[in-house]
Amino acid sequence: MSSQCTGNYTGKAPAVWPAKVNQIPKEVFGDAALFEEELKTIFYGDCWHIVGHFAEVPNVGDFKTFDLGRVPLLISRGKNNQVRVFYNTCTHRGNQLEVATSGNRKEFECPYHRWLFSLEGALTACPGSKEFAPDFKQENFGLMEVKSAQFMGLIFVTMGKNTPPLTEWLGEIVPPTLSTLLGGDGRLKLLGYQKVRYDSNWKGYNDNDGYHAPMLHTAFRLLNWQGGTTGFQRMTKNGHVVFEAELKAIQNNGFVNDPSLVEFKGSDPARGSRIVQLFPATVMVKHLDIINLRFAIARSHDVTEVHYAYFAHEDDSEELVQHRIRQGSNLLGPCGMISMEDAAIFQRIHIGNQTPGFAEFQKGVTSLMEVPMDVKQNDETGNLPRWEHYRKVMGFKREGEK
Amino acid sequence: MSQTITAAHSAAIDALHTAYLAALDKGDMAAWASTFAADNARYFCISAENDHRGLPLALMYDDCRGRIDDRVSFVTKVWVGTYEPYRTRHFIQRLSCEAAGNNQYRLTSGFTIMMSAEGGTTAVLTSGEYRDLIEIQGDGDKFRAVFRERRAVYDADVLPRYIVFPF
Repeated sequence: MSSQCTGNYTGKAPAVWPAKVNQIPKEVFGDAALFEEELKTIFYGDCWHIVGHFAEVPNVGDFKTFDLGRVPLLISRGKNNQVRVFYNTCTHRGNQLEVATSGNRKEFECPYHRWLFSLEGALTACPGSKEFAPDFKQENFGLMEVKSAQFMGLIFVTMGKNTPPLTEWLGEIVPPTLSTLLGGDGRLKLLGYQKVRYDSNWKGYNDNDGYHAPMLHTAFRLLNWQGGTTGFQRMTKNGHVVFEAELKAIQNNGFVNDPSLVEFKGSDPARGSRIVQLFPATVMVKHLDIINLRFAIARSHDVTEVHYAYFAHEDDSEELVQHRIRQGSNLLGPCGMISMEDAAIFQRIHIGNQTPGFAEFQKGVTSLMEVPMDVKQNDETGNLPRWEHYRKVMGFKREGEK
Repeated sequence: MSQTITAAHSAAIDALHTAYLAALDKGDMAAWASTFAADNARYFCISAENDHRGLPLALMYDDCRGRIDDRVSFVTKVWVGTYEPYRTRHFIQRLSCEAAGNNQYRLTSGFTIMMSAEGGTTAVLTSGEYRDLIEIQGDGDKFRAVFRERRAVYDADVLPRYIVFPF
């Protein structure tokens, strides 16, 4: 399948990938050598990775730095309003070019030998170049650009040579939900960030962020908060998951003093909750009136950093923006009424995954031999196609497979 | 430091700070909430990055008294049994104090929060700056200081763990 990355992992862990499709070997969460292979095969390989949204760099000269694995990136909006992604390194001796997390510049200057780069990446000055090597040509030393593509302002990058086009990578079922999650047209306005490091493998983070059975969340019960039954969960063979659910308004039973926090102001009346999870590590959520893109960085086999970025839509009323700020700050994220509990699970599951055996999937499993592609709203089997994709990408053989 | 503050008011403000830190270091959320004015109070906990860039989104955004009381419920009722326990020690240093009229003062203080995870070592959670609007309530010999607003602006661009307790 062309929309898959391909790897050929020959390391030791796991010794055996079980034949049963609902078992995931825990060894894949705690192996530093495997992480190095994942960097090469997935993060620096033929996959697309989300590194930001245009709304984070709205004006000419705006930039943002981000990391793909260990590779530093510089995302810059040039004079023609085009957003480009560069390696964040001077093309001379390799010094890190920009140190700020974000800002606005007229140009980028390397302090080491004062090489100067335009917002579009061209090398515009390099003092003393008369004495440079005989083959030096200034036009050959612009910033190295990383291949990028965009969907409604979402910025994707890939370092792979054989990455399929983004439209093919996203497939058919992702774009409709992703569009509505991004406000219909991607014209978003940045509200701010919550940034945190989790002591968790990136796969453990990804496996437990996004949608999961609501039993973890006591708030849902305390608030008598019912989910609808008309939702769905759909997966692609290359590891993406799309989820939509109806959220009924809460009936205020007196548990909260300020019920306005969980009000639904109807920025998306048909559905209350939409989640798009793109392989390998990005989760995006529209919950109540919150638009939340979670930019994840796989730092090591033990650490995953997540930048929760929150947005309003450009056309929102002031009242709706204020509501989105209150909800975003207090419900999702590493201290949110709902998501703090998820965060706790990322870390606890990483500790638990250092033990022998398997992560076992149960709810919704109908066959032990076939990866399910048709699952119900509350089934945990929605994660299994992603695992199957991961297994194939990394080149793990199933028990009994030749 | 402004010369308009009396020794008695200064002592009341010190007592408020102490009560706030003691409440959090004991994990006593009700005592934390009681350091805020009963009728109208606000608490915000926001990254320095958002604050400097004028981005309004916070880590905790309690813009009314009801929200402060609901935060107590988050910790004591909603999240019980889910998170990995940790204890904190807060240290503060007053940086400025100015009279704001109507028995109110604007203060800034630097803070450091140490955290000790159960079964683990002690580490820095973050540092930052408290920006407060404090009001002296009551009269005669009986008065106390309360927070009308506390804004905790934390320094870490990236927090080292998920957060249960206010800063």
